[in-house]
Amino acid sequence: MATVEFRGVTKNFGQVKATDGVDLAIKDGELLVLLGPSGSGKSTLMRLCAGLEQPTSGTIAIDGVVVNDVSPRERGIAMVFQSYALYPHKTVFDNIAFPLTVEHMAKEDIRKKVEWAAGLFGIGRLLDRMPSQLSGGERQRVAIARALVRRPRVLLMDEPLSNLDAKERHYARGELKKFQRGIGVTTIYVTHDQVEAMGLGDRIAVLCEGRLRQVGTPEEIYDRPADIFVAGFIGIPPMNFIEREGRIAGFRPEVFRPLELVQGDELMRLRYRIERVENLGGYRVAYGVVDGTPILAKLPHRYPVTEGEEHDFAVSIRDIHFFHKDTGLRIEG
Amino acid sequence: MKTKRLLDRDEVLGPLCLLPVVIYMALFIGFPFVMSFVYSISNVTIGNPHYRIVGLQNFIAIVEDPVFRKSLVNTCIFTFVSISIVIVLGHILAELLRREFRGKWVVRFLVMLPWTAPIALGAIGFLWFLDSVFSPIDWLLRTWGLLGSPDSLFGAQSNLYWLGRPELAMTSVILVHVWRILPLAAVILLAGMNAIPREIIEAAQVDGAGYFRRLFHIILPLLFPVIGVTILFATFFTFTDMTVVWILTKGGPPPNSTQVLASLAFLKGIAGGDLAQAAAVALFFFPVLAGIAAIVLRLVKKAVVT
Amino acid sequence: MTGRISRRRFLRTTGMGTVGLALGPAILTSGCTKKKAARRTLRLLQWSHFVPRYDKWFDPYCKKWGEEHNVDVIVDHISLSDLRSTFASEVAAGRGHDLIEFIDPPSDFEPSVLDLSDLNQEAVKRFGAQLPATTKSSYNPFTKKYYGFCHGWTIDPGDYRKSLWEKVGMPDGPRTWEDLLVYSARIKSQLGVQNGIGISQELDSNMAERALLWSFDTGTQDEGEQVILDNPKTVEAVKYMTELYQKTLTPEVFSWNPASNNQLLIAGKASYILNSISAYRSAQKDVPEIAKDVFFTPALKGPRGSGWACQHVIYVSVIPTFAKANADLAKQFLLDLCANYDRAMWESELYASPSFFNAPVPEGDRGYTRVEGAKILRDVFNAWFANDPYALPGEAKGKLLPLQDAEKWSANVGHPGPASPAEGEIFGTFVLPNMFARVAQGKQSAEESVKQAAAECRKIFDKWRAQGLVGGKG
Repeated sequence: MATVEFRGVTKNFGQVKATDGVDLAIKDGELLVLLGPSGSGKSTLMRLCAGLEQPTSGTIAIDGVVVNDVSPRERGIAMVFQSYALYPHKTVFDNIAFPLTVEHMAKEDIRKKVEWAAGLFGIGRLLDRMPSQLSGGERQRVAIARALVRRPRVLLMDEPLSNLDAKERHYARGELKKFQRGIGVTTIYVTHDQVEAMGLGDRIAVLCEGRLRQVGTPEEIYDRPADIFVAGFIGIPPMNFIEREGRIAGFRPEVFRPLELVQGDELMRLRYRIERVENLGGYRVAYGVVDGTPILAKLPHRYPVTEGEEHDFAVSIRDIHFFHKDTGLRIEG
Repeated sequence: MKTKRLLDRDEVLGPLCLLPVVIYMALFIGFPFVMSFVYSISNVTIGNPHYRIVGLQNFIAIVEDPVFRKSLVNTCIFTFVSISIVIVLGHILAELLRREFRGKWVVRFLVMLPWTAPIALGAIGFLWFLDSVFSPIDWLLRTWGLLGSPDSLFGAQSNLYWLGRPELAMTSVILVHVWRILPLAAVILLAGMNAIPREIIEAAQVDGAGYFRRLFHIILPLLFPVIGVTILFATFFTFTDMTVVWILTKGGPPPNSTQVLASLAFLKGIAGGDLAQAAAVALFFFPVLAGIAAIVLRLVKKAVVT
Repeated sequence: MTGRISRRRFLRTTGMGTVGLALGPAILTSGCTKKKAARRTLRLLQWSHFVPRYDKWFDPYCKKWGEEHNVDVIVDHISLSDLRSTFASEVAAGRGHDLIEFIDPPSDFEPSVLDLSDLNQEAVKRFGAQLPATTKSSYNPFTKKYYGFCHGWTIDPGDYRKSLWEKVGMPDGPRTWEDLLVYSARIKSQLGVQNGIGISQELDSNMAERALLWSFDTGTQDEGEQVILDNPKTVEAVKYMTELYQKTLTPEVFSWNPASNNQLLIAGKASYILNSISAYRSAQKDVPEIAKDVFFTPALKGPRGSGWACQHVIYVSVIPTFAKANADLAKQFLLDLCANYDRAMWESELYASPSFFNAPVPEGDRGYTRVEGAKILRDVFNAWFANDPYALPGEAKGKLLPLQDAEKWSANVGHPGPASPAEGEIFGTFVLPNMFARVAQGKQSAEESVKQAAAECRKIFDKWRAQGLVGGKG
């Protein structure tokens, strides 16, 4: 097991800065999620760690050793690709065995290890199949088995669940977390899906336009977003922003409630005109305006509202995040 | 109105669209093929199109003919060696073209050159390159002291006589032919390589496979269908080709050192006047090529299915 | 013409397809014919002449001839290498040109062309005897048919660089094959310049090898079209060639094409070649200094005194069966061409020589300074070869004099027998250059190689005998 450290890592593709001076340390045995929209540089960061790309500047260290000049095969990493990248001409067995054959391991040892990894993921009965004969979930498990069979120091996962349907994904997420905990391998997990990130990550690193915006536990990220970007990116539905006294006030739709239901001493009262209501099963989301600014509200169960009406809504001051108007950074206090 | 409705019907439009191809194939492939078959069992000559069927005697005659046997061996060497070189070089070239580097356009331009220049023009350039007296290659070798003095690497004579010595002539013909079909092979292979998902190759890289293991265990097996088709095309193209031979050596240097079946058929049929034997020589391609096609397509199909 | 060109190109480039496609055009083009009722058209197909000046004269001549006879004359010049394949597809198609001029005997087309006995008889009546070697290139004694009409031919002398031969003490060039061996060996060892007799799969080598065999009193066939190649004299000739190769040549001669020996002679890299005077003519224009150093020898003599050269080009015209309707015009055209052969000689810069030496020289302005007292072509020929009208100022006089009696030592392909499809195929598939080369390269003994070549010849002869075109017994 190992730690991973990015120090001032910048990667340029021509004029484009894919990552821009990223400093990030991943702890031993930790599952760190790199979260960001597409183009934020999260995949690049992972590929830099794998050695598939070379940083333009900065260093990457695994277990304290700088690996910039170390080839992927010698970094002791394993990677699960978004497409799984199974070798289509090899059987499941040979796919999982491939990293071991490369190391010229004895046949018998290979068999044992493959069977161990396959057993771990419940794919023992698939070993003779070709990848084209597997379902999406099965392929994903083969890919992870292949990554883990050689007991890597660091496991890299690039949106490994995105090719599964919603139901499979839900289930796979839990499984993944369980395996990771069980094996305790340091893991970097790339996703653009905040639900996945919140559900899986010991810590989450939020990236935007190649820059690291915030690193923290899911709670920290949710409760104390470091800037407007993080605040707006995390949470469903997204946070509302409104300008107040030269600052940006942000509050989540779930704490923006009818006045009579809000408790607390200090309140911010707002006149809310509801234009549309969406029923999402468990809850409803209201789309409305406050002083011309579009604002979302998560409506309490059975609370009667009518589209087109104005209501008195409020937020407790404790639930408001303030951000600097120009820098977008969080203002503490 | 009625025509329009008729053309809207698939069972009418389909055959109608296929018709030109069918006519083309019947006229330019089927008809000549049937004619060469008929010719090969006849006694037709260039000056006498009125023939009678004589059975297999043309085939017996060519099989007994040492020149035919030599040409057959030459054709096989020519084809096998050229294709092997083309596949290896084509692969390297495709690999090169896939990468980004300074001056890539120059390489690309040079690679495509044999295509854009008519083959006759290119081959005539090579004719000068390989000339027995004025060859610039020989001149370079002499300048570097590799040729023309008693202790030179390539001997004391002033020239290598590329097209005058049987082995060198075959080498020359093969190299020019390689030059000619390399772009085609490289482009097909490049397309094949680009069709391999990058993630698979990266997965192998991360799994610890070095360049050659990736090449032989991942890339080549995945390329196999493409390579198979490339080999098939190139083999057909080479086995039936006489252009390079004709321009460079006319089948020489004696005795028929670079004579291939296609040029022999031409010599026998046009220069020698014996169309019937020429047809028999030409038809000899058919079972050979059909066999190769069957084998390769079978292997490719197998590779694609799995 | 367009249709035919593209077809021809198609035939040539496909190579393979040639065989099968030959009949194709018949179907593709039939029905496109339009007959002109009023004025007739005579269509000629022939090569683009090596001497450009000849075509510049010939085409207007045809036009004028057409005007005089109320006929449209169309002359299509094509590359020499396309002549046979083009005519073959015309034969297969059953339509095409009315008069086709070959520069080698097209004897294998005999079944598809008219018997021109009447034309040949008429020509003899008008112009006197025909040169026997040219008769043998147009008449099949076995079928007793004139498949062609031969109006002219080209001398194939030895060409040598005098400066080189002077240095080894033979300023007038070799007279025998033995001289060639001894002195060109000296030239090679002393001056580093090789001899220029090719042993390659090409025309000039084919001719040189035949000249050598005949001068050694052997050949592929006898007068009765019997294969006689495998005899000790052929072995002797092959051994001679091997020695010639070892002492005076390099592997280069195996790679030659028809232009090689010319180029090398002009470049000063060959001491002696067998070729027509055309290389010398172009040197006169491009590099006069070198032309002045090029001299000629008649056929070299062999060990028993025979000396033969192979006629370099032999003009044989045929009238295809399908052009029967215009045969009268074509025959008239050929007779008139023979009557104007002084112009043909003149405009080809003496490249062409007549088949009918005794033809009268026409009166009036002939476009050249008249030869005083010349009544027949022989007189004109002798005068011009004694004093070359195309000689450069300051060039040695009488250079062509050794060629004045060329018809006495010039033989047809097939000598001493007639040209035939068998001889044509042996020529076209390079059986003789291969026979010589195998021994020169040390791949076979002379005896084995001759035996193999003779066996190939016999097979070819038998095949054409079965076609009923060649005499003798298998």
